[in-house]
Amino acid sequence: MSLSDLTGRWKAFSYGFLDASAKRELRRKMIKAVAVPGCQMPYASREVPIARGWGTGGLQVTLTLVKPSSTVKVIDQGADDSVNAASIRRFLSRVSGAAETWDTLDATLIQSRHRIPEEKLTRDQILILQVPNPEPLRGVEPNMSTARQMHADADYGRMWLQLYEQMVRSGRVMLGASYPAMVNGRHVMTPSPIPRWDVKKLHMAEHLTILSAGREKRIFAVPPYTRVEPLVFDDVPYKVEDHAHLTCARSGVTGYFMNEIPQEDGSAGYEVSDSHFGIKAIDARDGGTPTVGQTWYRNGELA
Amino acid sequence: MLATPLPDAEEIRDNATFDAVLGALSRPGTLRDLPEPGPLCIALALLDRECRVHAGDETLSARIAATGAALVPAHEADHVFMAADSAEALAVIAGLDTGSHLYPDEGATLIVPARIGAGQALQLTGPGIKSVERICLDGIHPGFWALRARLCAYPRGIEVLIHDGARLLALPRSTQVTEV
Repeated sequence: MSLSDLTGRWKAFSYGFLDASAKRELRRKMIKAVAVPGCQMPYASREVPIARGWGTGGLQVTLTLVKPSSTVKVIDQGADDSVNAASIRRFLSRVSGAAETWDTLDATLIQSRHRIPEEKLTRDQILILQVPNPEPLRGVEPNMSTARQMHADADYGRMWLQLYEQMVRSGRVMLGASYPAMVNGRHVMTPSPIPRWDVKKLHMAEHLTILSAGREKRIFAVPPYTRVEPLVFDDVPYKVEDHAHLTCARSGVTGYFMNEIPQEDGSAGYEVSDSHFGIKAIDARDGGTPTVGQTWYRNGELA
Repeated sequence: MLATPLPDAEEIRDNATFDAVLGALSRPGTLRDLPEPGPLCIALALLDRECRVHAGDETLSARIAATGAALVPAHEADHVFMAADSAEALAVIAGLDTGSHLYPDEGATLIVPARIGAGQALQLTGPGIKSVERICLDGIHPGFWALRARLCAYPRGIEVLIHDGARLLALPRSTQVTEV
């Protein structure tokens, strides 16, 4: 066997940026990630032309899955028009020929930083979450090898202790995002820093979610119809952010996850975090007829 | 300004194959279409020099060797292509690597041919399945299901990709299979 047998024909550019062997490695790891939901699988994490920590993990997954007939949506904290989201989306379409969209309903691949869209995802869509820190045990166990052993033993006592201590000290769980969740009754995962509001959307969802941390070189997944249960004590129920009564100052929608906008006078204004969902509401108010999908939450309650 | 690269025939095939594999694994029991019949497209989409592979079939073995993957005995392999239709085959499968609790990803992927839609009726539950999924498989030894259950001591275990011509279904280790 010679090197020339193993390499393909010379090409100026690999389709979808990543070379074929990088894609094959990611495919092998995605298979294992789906087979053991919530369990972090190590992978090589190749170089991509954005800096580590800016979505390289999600980008590699999207680049492996993308094809010319794909439609990609990229969001950054709910917004399609942030610099990071716009750059990644443009890069994806440039190297793959895939169509770009802002509309959750049109997308086949949704790469997201820290939010899940408000409109329900369907079985034909794949959600790819960018994960900065994939290790839920990092806060209680800095040693990665020990943390891996703890996952192997399902030894999550210290996670529970952390939650207990927060309640003792502060009267409530002091975790805004990355709320640890038990997946398929076996592995505790950090659902990337999505807000508590979004963790419930992963439980028994219709869509496949792949979570990928490029800097930390770990990939994990939540298949459809998989139990994702936030760690809670029996007598202290899980609480999502108290946004049910907030109204978006721009679009007028109420009962969805909001961004807090500090005002001149020191008060707070609110804007709906899922920006394109807000755009649809503005369009409808102005007489348009946008197609709005079914939402996970209705009137601030999980439907 | 770079022109958008177009996928070549191999890229299209590998992408479509993995689409089918990922779809089948995330919804165990549902049928997906491979871009071409047979296990070769699965091998080409997944395997290269980083893999250790065992293939029962000689022609397939030769094609896999050409990807640079090492051909090894089944118990050392991370991908195993073989039929599961005899007691001898089951003896080989019993020795497959199921990974460890530390590294469940080291469990092997077993790619087997079968006739889908006939024979033994099976009931599937687990992640990816809303309530219950029912399938029928023929061409798999009756002892296979007990053996699989023994190998899949979650989170250790093996993934089983079942192909029938260009049709594919998958049983990840998280799926509970009951014979009915």
